[in-house]
Amino acid sequence: MPSWTDVEQFLVTGLSLGGVYALSGVGMVVLYRATGVLNLAFGAVGAMGALIAWQLINHAGFGFWPAFAVSVLFGGVITLAYGMVFGPALAMRDPLVKATATLGLTLVLLGVMDLLWPSSGGASRALTVPTDNNTFQVGQISVTYTNVIALALGLVVTVITGLFLRFTKLGTAMRAMANDREITATLGVPVRRVTAAAWFGCGCLSGVAGVLLADLVALDSTTLTFLVISTLAATLIGRLRSIPITFVAALVIGLVSSELTPISSVSNYRDMTPFVLAAIALLVLNRRRVISVGRQGV
Amino acid sequence: MKATGTPIKIGTIDTKQPGTDFSDGPNMINAYFACVNANGGVNGHPLKLFVEYDQTQPAQIAAAAKQLIQSDHGVGIVGVFDLLACTIDQNYWKGLGIYEMGAGIAPECWSTPNSAAVNMGPRYSSDGAVQYGISQKPDKIVFVQSNVPGTGYIAAGPAALAKASGLPITERTENVPINDANSVALDLVNKAGSNGWVVLNFTPPEALVILQAAQKLGLEDRVKGWGCSTPCNTDFLAKTLGPKWNHKLFVNAELTSPDDHNGPEMQLYKAILAKYGSSVAGGLGSFSEMGYLLGKFSTQALETVKGAYTIKSVNAAFKAIKDQKTELLCQPWVYGNYPLHIPNNADFTTTPDNGKMVTAQNCFNVSSADPQIAQYRKAAGTAPSTNPPTG
Amino acid sequence: MSTADDTTASTTTDGQAAPEAPAPGPGATRSRITPRNAIRPALIVALLAFVLLAFPSIFSLYYIDAWTQVAIYSIVTLGLGVLVGRVGMVSLGQGAVLAMGAWVAARLLFATGLPFPIVLLAAGVITMALGTLVGLPALRMSGLYLALITLMLAGAITVALSNINFPNGGSGFTGYNGASVHIPPIRRPSVATTDPAFFRYSVVVAILMFLLVLFHIRGRPGRAWAAIRQSESAALAAGINTTFYKLWAFALASFVTGVAGALVAGSFRYLNSLTFATQDSITLLAVVLMGGAYSMSGAIVAAFLLKFLQALLNDWSVSPDWLTILFGIGVLQVLTTAPRGIVEQLPKDLARLGRLVRGLFTRTAPAGGQAE
Repeated sequence: MPSWTDVEQFLVTGLSLGGVYALSGVGMVVLYRATGVLNLAFGAVGAMGALIAWQLINHAGFGFWPAFAVSVLFGGVITLAYGMVFGPALAMRDPLVKATATLGLTLVLLGVMDLLWPSSGGASRALTVPTDNNTFQVGQISVTYTNVIALALGLVVTVITGLFLRFTKLGTAMRAMANDREITATLGVPVRRVTAAAWFGCGCLSGVAGVLLADLVALDSTTLTFLVISTLAATLIGRLRSIPITFVAALVIGLVSSELTPISSVSNYRDMTPFVLAAIALLVLNRRRVISVGRQGV
Repeated sequence: MKATGTPIKIGTIDTKQPGTDFSDGPNMINAYFACVNANGGVNGHPLKLFVEYDQTQPAQIAAAAKQLIQSDHGVGIVGVFDLLACTIDQNYWKGLGIYEMGAGIAPECWSTPNSAAVNMGPRYSSDGAVQYGISQKPDKIVFVQSNVPGTGYIAAGPAALAKASGLPITERTENVPINDANSVALDLVNKAGSNGWVVLNFTPPEALVILQAAQKLGLEDRVKGWGCSTPCNTDFLAKTLGPKWNHKLFVNAELTSPDDHNGPEMQLYKAILAKYGSSVAGGLGSFSEMGYLLGKFSTQALETVKGAYTIKSVNAAFKAIKDQKTELLCQPWVYGNYPLHIPNNADFTTTPDNGKMVTAQNCFNVSSADPQIAQYRKAAGTAPSTNPPTG
Repeated sequence: MSTADDTTASTTTDGQAAPEAPAPGPGATRSRITPRNAIRPALIVALLAFVLLAFPSIFSLYYIDAWTQVAIYSIVTLGLGVLVGRVGMVSLGQGAVLAMGAWVAARLLFATGLPFPIVLLAAGVITMALGTLVGLPALRMSGLYLALITLMLAGAITVALSNINFPNGGSGFTGYNGASVHIPPIRRPSVATTDPAFFRYSVVVAILMFLLVLFHIRGRPGRAWAAIRQSESAALAAGINTTFYKLWAFALASFVTGVAGALVAGSFRYLNSLTFATQDSITLLAVVLMGGAYSMSGAIVAAFLLKFLQALLNDWSVSPDWLTILFGIGVLQVLTTAPRGIVEQLPKDLARLGRLVRGLFTRTAPAGGQAE
């Protein structure tokens, strides 16, 4: 059995991994609740934003913060553009079709990223957030403020979007629209403007997440793009609806996976944690539901 | 005077897929050949390189080999920069009497009679990194590598070296890409203990995330030292990591650094790269150095061929390559008629120094405690002498 | 191969009937033998005979390998097409199912001297059992959840296989020896050791799998699937055991994918975890959508896009990234404007182009330039 100091140390690294999952998981659920689209391109958009930031810092003499702003803006614009072009065409379709279409965007971005930032000659890149240099001590290990920011950002987004969707007029409009576009439109909600706001906001969030994840995980297009798969586990446990449950689930996944690291017999299988936990959660949650009819999860 | 005779056709197979692109190697061979052709070719014949790219699909790699010989009528195979080709094509080479040379990853690149590599490969480079660690007298070695096929073969080398020195060694593998580098770094440090030595065998991005995580968690001083196999030997890593790792991380280097050496041959390599190597995306670096070496060795061997250039005559010449002194390697390169080929078995150790990788230890022989190295040295005669490069 | 079975399959992946399509009730998929249908099988047989006999002498070994992969992957896309097009279930885990099939086959081929056809069958059956076992929880869900849970499973299987590793002639249950320096190739059928022979072998197996699927589609399961795709609740009301027939579709898809996995093992001869990535499952779905999930010929188009185009671009030294981009655009295009894939869309586009050209020459009012 590992000692308490071991458990404690991995608790800290687990929270930082959980923060990574939480950040992108919460971002995806927010967009899903606001537009009815599960954006599987969340990771790819963020990755491209981070690569653009890297390009600006290393080859155009930008400082970190201006580059960061560009990357956030890129996330917002590309997501908005996608939402404006393909949103209306797919508005009447099943959530499954909408989600599948974002896989199309994912593939396009993945191809473009590998063309523009190739890996030939063993080239590799890194993006460091300035807050990496400020640390504080927890037990025997130090924690950077980037970790804290990632975790806090996840929490803040959870709280603010929760309040926003519930209490503001725009938020109510978004929720209504995700439920039924037609009826919402007939009620006099400016559907296009509300959708645009939702897409843009979530796109910016993916830009922020992209830069943070590039620092916390790796600046690599494939890694960041497919981090979404592990993240989806948390959103599934939250049943694609609950932002707080998604947040907590992400932390639990991070903690479990981290605590398994020192146990050599299962260590290499710990990457299965998100999938196993999601499968168990869905089995338990769905044990009475044999079939589900009609639209899902909105 | 440009070469105008019938071309000598050489083939190569190269991994080129999203995330893994080795095409700088063949591109540099092409640059070398272009230089040769512009200066009269080989006995008046220009050299022509046929490159087949693959996406780590075994059937594709097998078909590519056959395409190069049967359709393109290649007479030799030079410059295979590939993850899997040594494993898949070795029987085909053997059947045709082809003696391939290149740079690889798979165990068969160093364990079969028909393949010889200019690089050391993951096992012997890890040996070198562990050997340096052992010389610093830690009380334990922790060896970690990416969880890809063939990890057992690679780990056997460091295990043999540790055993010969009576040191305990812990081996582990990590799935790549690594999502939770913090936990990995923490676990490595905990396993090594304060007087332990951690050795990594990863690609540069993966090694970097582990080392960066260790730095962020403040773990770099919790062990006696860190080691890494040859992929870590890039200035990029030194620059990204920063001064905290100066003389804390020790990297095994299989080729002479083009930064701190500038002898006549290094100048020639740089000149060819500058004039003919516009397609070499990475510029100066280990891939183009290896491409230069393969271009050079094959050209010089082809010049010895008398009469027609056939598979038989060309491969006899390749096999006869011996005592090829070069500034880019620690020891002369040799092919020879041996059951296995580990011609690059002496190398450097480098360490980060304010954003650059500098030499920490000059040429040394990788220990014969690794049974494969011992077997090779037995087959190839005496342990090859090292000739530290000048300049 | 796209005959009567296609005419009723005009729904979108939503499970909602596309606006222009008449909603056929259960039973409408029953095949109708008409004189027109007698000509097409004859044409198909002639085409297949040409492929089997002439291809090996027309194409170089490099392209014969590409065609072998097309034949093998057409079985995989066929299986996924059944799920997506017939039943309306999207699986994002078929790449992982293929990897399981290849693993099982490689294990059997190293461990036993069983004839290759037996191994094919066994790999199919074992993969079917594993696939349905793993898919069972997923089947209780529908729509988006099913797609996501299969994506999770693909991720989990990829992690598991990269730890277990593919058999390479070692001993023990996994048959993997990580220290091996002389990995032996996987055995091929004795009648198909050379590449052209293995190409023919793969085509024949693919034909058998297509016939098996056709048999299902024309029979009772096909009718039940059509009903489920139209409306699951209506199907349930009509007394169809929807879970059972969904499971059946999943089992059938897993079986043919397992057989394809065995062909992959025989064709590749060396397997390792690098060859199977989680994102392959996503690419598979992309090409199935592009090829057209509603017809069996769509499966062939999908495999052609996936494997032949890849070989072609590779031969022309074009970066494989362009293919990724093309697949992405294809998915978006198919989902927004042409839900039935290239097979259906291309003739329409050509007809539209024809009208446009005719319009130019006759100088009449612009004809049919706008989208449908």
